[in-house]
Amino acid sequence: MLEVTDLRITYGKHVALDGASISVGAGEMVAILGANGAGKSSLLGAVGGRVRPASGQVTYKGRDLLRLPQHALVEEGIALVPEGRGIFPGLSVAENLDLGARPRRAKARAGAIREQVFTLFPKLAERRAQIAGTMSGGEQQMVAIGRALMSAPDLLLLDEPSLGLAPIVVQEVFAALARIRASGLTIMIVEQNARATLALADRAYLIEAGRITGSGPADTLRTDPAVVRAFLGGAAVAES
Amino acid sequence: MLVTTLILGLVLGGTYALLALGLTLQYGISRIMNLAYGEFTLVSAFALVALFKGAGVPPLLAIVLIAPLGYAVGWILYAVMMRPLVARAGDAGRLDVASILATFGLMFLIQGGLLVTFGADFTSITYLDQGVNVLGVPVALNRLIAFAICVVAGGGLVLALGRTRWGLALRAVAQTPGSAPLVGIDVNRVARQGFALGTALAAIAGASIAMHQTFSATDGVVFTMKALVIVIMGGVGNVAGTLIAGLALGLVETFVATAIDPGLTLAATFAIFLVVLLWRPQGLFGRR
Repeated sequence: MLEVTDLRITYGKHVALDGASISVGAGEMVAILGANGAGKSSLLGAVGGRVRPASGQVTYKGRDLLRLPQHALVEEGIALVPEGRGIFPGLSVAENLDLGARPRRAKARAGAIREQVFTLFPKLAERRAQIAGTMSGGEQQMVAIGRALMSAPDLLLLDEPSLGLAPIVVQEVFAALARIRASGLTIMIVEQNARATLALADRAYLIEAGRITGSGPADTLRTDPAVVRAFLGGAAVAES
Repeated sequence: MLVTTLILGLVLGGTYALLALGLTLQYGISRIMNLAYGEFTLVSAFALVALFKGAGVPPLLAIVLIAPLGYAVGWILYAVMMRPLVARAGDAGRLDVASILATFGLMFLIQGGLLVTFGADFTSITYLDQGVNVLGVPVALNRLIAFAICVVAGGGLVLALGRTRWGLALRAVAQTPGSAPLVGIDVNRVARQGFALGTALAAIAGASIAMHQTFSATDGVVFTMKALVIVIMGGVGNVAGTLIAGLALGLVETFVATAIDPGLTLAATFAIFLVVLLWRPQGLFGRR
């Protein structure tokens, strides 16, 4: 469904991504794992239209995404939850969700999707009149993910959804992701929390210093000694 | 005495509020600080006079014609002149400098055009200037109509911004433009609409001012400055704050004129401006 070919992203002289190729199939959940600054957010940003690559290709359902402006991607069925969440902190929860349902593809189903989002995150239903910026980090992440779902996406892009959240809230977010995944939505996720992500994803790509250095089914990667050493912390995995 | 001041002050303040609404929209949504704003109100004021004197078009009908023209002019001006500034500026600070310099130049351009076309003399029309009794205070009918236009346009704008999907998109761009593309909002398009809407409001304000006030081709800067004072008092981009600050300024000016000296109204305006800037630079109703 999504094909990224030889993507190269530079910021001035700094090369963030040096020829990365990945693919995501329909209904798959694919994780991009890597250290800070490895280039995984740049990769996701390019798919989501936030970052303009220097060269390479991004095609989605056969369409060249790099030709489209960022705001047009939502209508194509791609929803991005960026790092830092990208919500509207001055607007209420309900208004944030309403904005998510702007695209034509979502308008007709907005009521039904809203119910699904409220089932997924009951807190949002309770707090729908609250100004989003006054909520806790975890609740704001729920607003961000809920708003993305409101656009009725076919492909959900998640950038570090657990970043800066308390462990208990991280669990809550991953529990919600598990349910979203179970609904059959295609997901591409960038995460530092490799353990929880590999437990959920079908496949993963490993990215180091701007290059893809490995890939495979999540189950295999979880027990791969090199992956365990680099991303999971050896001792902790031996217990599980 | 007090009732007279209150009523005349509110009527004057209504015009001020309407005047300032367009400027706050242009800066709040499009992030263009438009120093030529007052010139747009003047162009509209002259247009109303020309239509009335030249073609016998009733002023109320003229406003209905002028407002959409104002929208169109603002739309084109944003696309041709402002959009390149926005595309090049990169950050808000540099856009402020670029837009202030560019619209400062535009101000002289329009002012020159007005001087050549209409001359430097004061202009006014006589239209519905019979007194109407409001709670025992005689108020000219044309001023009441101008106030009614302010209430309708201002109230309509508050409702449209607060209650419609379109208004929600405008507010989203005004508050967090960086997040707007994530929900499929074309920021450039919304900024153009905001600027055009602001110009339309400037046109409505100018036309309603022309119905009851004497003005000349060099008055634009006074309109811009008063609008700017109100916008900053109300909190930039805050529509409700702007309405309240506009009414407050009208009350203060009328009070100063009746209780102290009519020559001090402008001085009072800028005294308030100074106090607000020193004491609450985010505006009386602003956050942060």
